[in-house]
Amino acid sequence: MFRWRKKLSVGLTIGLSLVLSLVLIPTLTAQEIEPVTILMPAPFADSTRDLVKDFNQKYEKSIHLDVIRGPLETEAISDLAISSLLLGDTPFDALLMDITWLPKYARAGWLEALDNGFDESDINDLTNGAQLGNNYQGVLYRWPLVADIGLLFWRTDLMEKPPSTPDELVAVSRNLQNNKKVPWGYVWQGRQYEGLSCVYLEMIDGFGGNWFNPDRGTFGLDQKPGVNAAQWLTDLIQEGISPEAVTNYAESETLQSFKSGDSAFMRNWPYAWAELQKEDSRVRGKVGISTMVAAPGASPASTVGSWGFSLLKGSKHKEAVIEAFKFLTSKESQLKMFEEYGYTPTLKSIYEDPIMLEKYPYIIELYKALKVGRMRPETPVYAQLSDVLQRNLSESLTQELTAKISMKNATSTSEQIMLAAGGLMK
Amino acid sequence: MTLELQSVGRQINAKWIVHDLSFSVKQDECLVLVGPSGCGKSSTLRLIAGLDRCQQGTIKFGNRDVTHLPPSERAVGMVFQSYALLPHLTVYENLELGLRIRGVRIEERSRRIQHILDLVQLADRANHRPSALSGGQRQRVALARALLRNAMVYLLDEPMSNLDAQLREQIRPELRRLILDQGKPTVYVTHDQNEALAMANKIAIINNGEIVQLDTPIHLYNNPNSLFVAQFLGRPQINCLKPRDHQIQAIRPEDLKFSESGLPCRLVSREWLGNTQLLYLESAEGGLRMVAEPSFQCPERLFVTWQQSKVFRFDAKTGLRTS
Amino acid sequence: MTVVYLLIPAFLLLASVFGLPLLRYAWLSFHADSVLTGLQPIANDGANWLRLMHDQRYWQDLIQTLRFAFASVGFELLLGLAIALLLHQPMRKRGLIRSAALIPWALPTTVMALGWRWIFNTPYGPIDQFTSLSGISLNILGNPSFAWIALVYADVWKTTPFVALILLAGLQSIPNDLYEACTLEGASSFTCFRKITLPLLKPYLGLAMTFRLAQAFGVFDLVQVMTGGGPASSTESLALYAYWNALRFLDFGYSATIMIASFVLLSTIVAFGWWLMILLNQRGSMAVTE
Repeated sequence: MFRWRKKLSVGLTIGLSLVLSLVLIPTLTAQEIEPVTILMPAPFADSTRDLVKDFNQKYEKSIHLDVIRGPLETEAISDLAISSLLLGDTPFDALLMDITWLPKYARAGWLEALDNGFDESDINDLTNGAQLGNNYQGVLYRWPLVADIGLLFWRTDLMEKPPSTPDELVAVSRNLQNNKKVPWGYVWQGRQYEGLSCVYLEMIDGFGGNWFNPDRGTFGLDQKPGVNAAQWLTDLIQEGISPEAVTNYAESETLQSFKSGDSAFMRNWPYAWAELQKEDSRVRGKVGISTMVAAPGASPASTVGSWGFSLLKGSKHKEAVIEAFKFLTSKESQLKMFEEYGYTPTLKSIYEDPIMLEKYPYIIELYKALKVGRMRPETPVYAQLSDVLQRNLSESLTQELTAKISMKNATSTSEQIMLAAGGLMK
Repeated sequence: MTLELQSVGRQINAKWIVHDLSFSVKQDECLVLVGPSGCGKSSTLRLIAGLDRCQQGTIKFGNRDVTHLPPSERAVGMVFQSYALLPHLTVYENLELGLRIRGVRIEERSRRIQHILDLVQLADRANHRPSALSGGQRQRVALARALLRNAMVYLLDEPMSNLDAQLREQIRPELRRLILDQGKPTVYVTHDQNEALAMANKIAIINNGEIVQLDTPIHLYNNPNSLFVAQFLGRPQINCLKPRDHQIQAIRPEDLKFSESGLPCRLVSREWLGNTQLLYLESAEGGLRMVAEPSFQCPERLFVTWQQSKVFRFDAKTGLRTS
Repeated sequence: MTVVYLLIPAFLLLASVFGLPLLRYAWLSFHADSVLTGLQPIANDGANWLRLMHDQRYWQDLIQTLRFAFASVGFELLLGLAIALLLHQPMRKRGLIRSAALIPWALPTTVMALGWRWIFNTPYGPIDQFTSLSGISLNILGNPSFAWIALVYADVWKTTPFVALILLAGLQSIPNDLYEACTLEGASSFTCFRKITLPLLKPYLGLAMTFRLAQAFGVFDLVQVMTGGGPASSTESLALYAYWNALRFLDFGYSATIMIASFVLLSTIVAFGWWLMILLNQRGSMAVTE
């Protein structure tokens, strides 16, 4: 029960020791060198190690960049960051943030604007998907390191081209299942967690609706497209297109099923591409990617999920931090991260480079998906809204309630949350 | 009915802790097993009760061979050193448990428990828990429980070693009466030679899992078959003179007499014991213990003598009696 | 008197470690303190408590938490007793076997929870592979009616050794004489168990129960990793709800309210456990007669 208090105290201990080391380092090193510290989730800390080395070589005389390797899990990083931010004096200058955290952090007053560091032309260099989720109330607070986008993975050995509508996906799946080509049609993230919100966002938009309309401050969950999306996902399970167990599937379980050749389609993030091309994959070389299906008349939508750098208030090395951001997100760095770790680049120029396209033809699909990237509701109370959606949608998926009622409940609870937040929006 | 052990033995980790042990105890008889700790006397008792298995020999209760019977079918009444009373039950409940297990009817149970409580003078303690009783009272509850068993054989494992010396002396005659009144063979284990002498019809002195000598208390005292027995029985302990010609001469402290001549001794220390005094002397023959009148004013230097007929002689190597 | 003074440092330490945070939370539970208030506490006249009263989710989580706690502790006591009895038997390499039995308890919860998530995985986990041989796919973790049972299963697996350890200590405190005396009276081993082992083990059973109830009531990592509270929120625990409010929603006022309410409930349960233990203690004194 006192778990988070424990986390606070762990944070305090780590924080204190870091503060101590921050105090000590400047006295030990030459005075003109500015120390910059960035907290990153472990995978990012590992994959940026070479870039950081390059940076420190280049800025040998002026800046020393230090990356703190945080926990592996996305939410654990958030817990650690929040614990130290709450204590006031943070031991890091910057933080690598998930796209959904930004409004909350900005509203809490923990972030420093980046408008001085990046201008309109920098922003225009980014793909559409990467441009999203960096601002709060019109102010730039985050600069993307990697883009991330929801994709539909399909089997090139089982069909000519990917389905484009929900009905088509179901029909192709059923056909393949009836012919015993695959046990399952479509696997996706149905567990009650953030991934489910991402899956739903793509479907509600794909049915021509909106989760949240920031201009009017209304929710579309119980409107026709919202209910259709919930119903469609529920039916997938009922009709056996998706295994019943998807109600506890996160990314890893989904990947396992698709990688074993047990499913015709999978909803996942770009990282899965590299996984599917590995030795142990049964679908190696038989995978295509596409944007998510959408109903006729509606445009397809892909959930954006990027990671980007934010400068924390109270940092004493703002210019140096922005230098570091620029270096780590430069085209050279982006290329390196893409080629070595498969991270989705943020810059248009990379996707439009003929040499790249020839070398990695599948990035065309990534680029397409990024163009139709959609944001989850951008509000400081997003975590509550997402939690409400997950709870209610999960009730529909497990047939505790009908899709219609669950989405009605989700809407009214979401409205209450918004009301309590004073109609707070973008 | 006679309790009979024939060549009984048990070994643990290839070492015999009871070896080739034979004796018989008639009804009305109390055999006391006595010996230093770890000698196998308690183990013997556990073999008779069936708590441990014999690996050798037979045990008979009368004509009945019980060697391979489980303890529950042997009908022995046993008093444990720790008394083994259940702490969460009252005295009455403790006594009742065994009767219930054996299916005795409720009126009969009540009658017998009342009777036995009167016998051990604990009628007013029936509803107390063991923790509210004194050590002596607990011991009597344990005894009462054993007596309720209607046993073929009674076994007592150091029943008084948790009591203080004064209480022991008080209880001894009572215990003796209660046990012997049952008219059943009784085996009593103790490490205290005074208790052994007081309780026994016969004493078996045990060492290293074997009987060294088995006889009546008087005979054992007057005719020890080995130095071990001579030294074990009798307090103050028997005096051993310097070995000569592979022989040890031993004489009991009370058989030493003062005289004008004889073995010259020097007084080292003395213990006044009220009704006697114990003198520690030093002589050419080694240290000697001697019992004297309580009022005797012992000089610094003195001579002692003894009758040759009172001297026991033992082989220096084997410790066995030679004359 | 000096003894009292000597206790002051220990008391201050306890007060600062346990007392102050509790007081702080109690105070916070009467304030709005969230991202919306700029993380500044603003007194809100018990609005948090009113909200808690009407928060169906809290009461649902409370019921789910109690259901989990009682089910897992119940099974742990039964199974722990069986294992303790088994480990109490004389056997070869007893020390080794006893240590081995403790391994599940020594594993970090998150690690073992991740393991169980895969074991219960449908259709790739061994459990589903096994049941699907007979044509049944249970989909335990994906089903709101069964998911909590999987959590109980994993918790029982992990913490039964702890219960067994406490009960083993209890068994070892019962002198062997008692059993021997009981056997001599002609009792079967079951009678001995009923008349000696159970009553004398009661205080230890009470102790294990109290410890485990308190722990199970605060279950967090296990749920977080295995189901994340789902499906359909059927496995969400109070600790998880409090955590979400604090670190995900940045709503510290309400989180504090949940924690204080849960603390009071937990204390009541623990107090009840102790009361029960004292009651049983009077019947079966822990101290065994000399």
